[in-house]
Amino acid sequence: MADNNPFPGENNTGHIWDDNIRELANPPPRWWMIAFWASIAWFLGYGVLYPMYPIGQKPTEGVMGWTQIKEYQEGLDEVVAVRAEFENQLKDMSAKDILANPGLADYTVASVKVLFGDICAPCHGGGGQGGPGFPVLADDDWLFGGTVETIEQTIAMGRKGIMTAHGKILSDDEADKLADAIAAGNPTSDPNFLQKGCIACHGMDGKGMQMLGSANLTDGIYRFVPGEGESIKDSVKQTILHGVNDVTDPQTREAVMPSFGDRLSKDEIKKLAVYVYKFGGGQ
Amino acid sequence: MDAAAEQKYNLGIVRWFTVMAVVYLVVGTLVGTYVASELAWPFLNFDIPYLTFGRLRPLHTNAVIFAFGGCALMATSFYSVQRTCGVSLWSDKLAWFVFIGWNLIIVSAVITLPLGINQAKEYAELEWPIDLAIAVVWLAYMFNFVMTLATRKSSHIYVSNWFFLGMMVMITYLHVVNSLAIPVDLFKSYSLFAGVQDAMIQWWWGHNAVGFYLTAGFLGIMYYFVPKQAGRPVYSYRLSVIHFWALMFGYVWLGAHHLQYTALPDWTGSLGAAVSIAMIIPSWGGAVNGMMTLSGAWDKLRTDYVLRFLIMSLAFYAMSTFEGPIMSIKTVNALSHYTDWTVGHVHSGALGWVAMVAIGAIYHMMTRTFHTEMWSTKLINAHFWTATIGTVVYVVAMWVSGIMQGLMWRAYDEYGTLAYTFAESVEAMHPYYAMRAIGGMIFVTGALLMLINVLMTVRKAASEGSVRAASTAAVSA
Repeated sequence: MADNNPFPGENNTGHIWDDNIRELANPPPRWWMIAFWASIAWFLGYGVLYPMYPIGQKPTEGVMGWTQIKEYQEGLDEVVAVRAEFENQLKDMSAKDILANPGLADYTVASVKVLFGDICAPCHGGGGQGGPGFPVLADDDWLFGGTVETIEQTIAMGRKGIMTAHGKILSDDEADKLADAIAAGNPTSDPNFLQKGCIACHGMDGKGMQMLGSANLTDGIYRFVPGEGESIKDSVKQTILHGVNDVTDPQTREAVMPSFGDRLSKDEIKKLAVYVYKFGGGQ
Repeated sequence: MDAAAEQKYNLGIVRWFTVMAVVYLVVGTLVGTYVASELAWPFLNFDIPYLTFGRLRPLHTNAVIFAFGGCALMATSFYSVQRTCGVSLWSDKLAWFVFIGWNLIIVSAVITLPLGINQAKEYAELEWPIDLAIAVVWLAYMFNFVMTLATRKSSHIYVSNWFFLGMMVMITYLHVVNSLAIPVDLFKSYSLFAGVQDAMIQWWWGHNAVGFYLTAGFLGIMYYFVPKQAGRPVYSYRLSVIHFWALMFGYVWLGAHHLQYTALPDWTGSLGAAVSIAMIIPSWGGAVNGMMTLSGAWDKLRTDYVLRFLIMSLAFYAMSTFEGPIMSIKTVNALSHYTDWTVGHVHSGALGWVAMVAIGAIYHMMTRTFHTEMWSTKLINAHFWTATIGTVVYVVAMWVSGIMQGLMWRAYDEYGTLAYTFAESVEAMHPYYAMRAIGGMIFVTGALLMLINVLMTVRKAASEGSVRAASTAAVSA
């Protein structure tokens, strides 16, 4: 083809495709060739520094002695050393003692923030603000008690509220009236509050009992937040009629705090209790 | 009108693959933009399982890689192999079998993926019966291509065909090995490999879907369409030989760099990283050869919008083949892995390189297979700018978000404890997710302009009767 090259005077290889496609006989750019050989040298050199060649019984280890486990361990050692000063003191202290020591309490809050964010925040919110169906941790209204010890116990062992469904012993009209009274923050104004036995758990004054985890019905804070288009009264009535965790009623409210005793270490639970307490509502 | 080409070659199959490629470009990027929007505004799930990110994301990747990319590759390879060999396709029937088969596979993907029928292997999600169909159709494609080469009238095989053939051989090998599985029933199978071996096989495939399918195949496109569109000779034959073989030998080793700091043995990860860095220069060989082909003809970029796509694609190619190897180095990987940086890197390659070079080639083929001018040249220019701006917005958003993510995840406070919760990093991502979705929307807008332009051109060709005229016009021997 070189004899009748349709592109005379062009430094092409003499091969022509599809009428006018051809390639020049240029060498690759000089910088490119140098870089190409350097790439091969890099490859060989990298294998001298790092474990790389799968030759013989065992792959080569590299002259730097690098392994990913070693790198991980070194990184970990570095932060563990920073934490050690605090961790060593925390080990034998109770949550209450930690709270009494502002420096250690600050460390505790910092060190457990991520754990709270990963396992508590999905239900209780990143700032303990609660969520639909999940209690607020940042106020001073506690179902089971707000001392740091109780909080620790709640985390370790979990909680399960119980309220029987009252749909069978209350007419719709009665439930309606009772719900009105509770929504107004004045449960005792309805005679049924006493007669139907609500006082057994919620107390004579309707203020609840932390021993039982029963809610205070007079403070305008509700365990179950009304859903969309629902009034507080509707939501209260739903709870009265169907109860909480009542296995006999399929429409019952669910309210379970899982136990973390098996999933977290004692120290982690202690730290979380301090963290929750420090939201400001601890008692 | 090129009556000689119309009568000598099978351009009918090219027309169909070309138009379908544009349809799938719109579908694939539209689904991508939707899932990107879901990440920014999760209500878009509408609590419908078929619309959730987990179901639609593989649909997006399969649609852009295998539907759009596949049709673009088949259109361009069938077009250029005929023209560079000076013969028609070895078998028209086999070519139509490939067209119908490939499109049926795409339809089956569109049905099964939203239903959650998924092998859980990235870029190889389709279940085993579809995998078998892919193998059969792909082999038919390769066989037809090889036989066309074997019956060629030209003395030498042109470089674009080396790249297409390299892709076909390697993808067969990779697809078959990675898809080895034990079926439980028609819609469920389990990989033959387990644990870290499974991960390694998966990424050996995963990276080479990028390396051979989206790089070698699309370099094949570049090598035919850049010199053809520019009317210039390829800069260096010797460069094309060296970088071809370097890519072929090098790419298969890279997969391990997806598994740094995992159960993968140290030596395997180092090997992946070392070869990755050594691949920068061979990759740039293609970019240099394409760009230097334009030397002396740079002024053409002012008026030739198709050439703009091709050259912009080479710029993105050079950039992402530099970025990728850097990310594979352990130190950088420790920061970049599992972050949006990876997503940004993939899209600078996928939108900037793969889509742009294919789009340029498609516009080139449209006028030459439908024997008429494009309906609107202005729309091509508008498409060029929307595609470029959309890509840049997308990639920049993911760079910022990815690096921020990586830094937040590893940040320690003065107590040596983690500074941020995971949820805080998610919250910080939100503006960038919105920005990414907007970048995607801009890119999709361009794709829609292209679809309109292509369909109007097809209509114009039909009303002019240009294809029939070309196939019946007398051709001087």
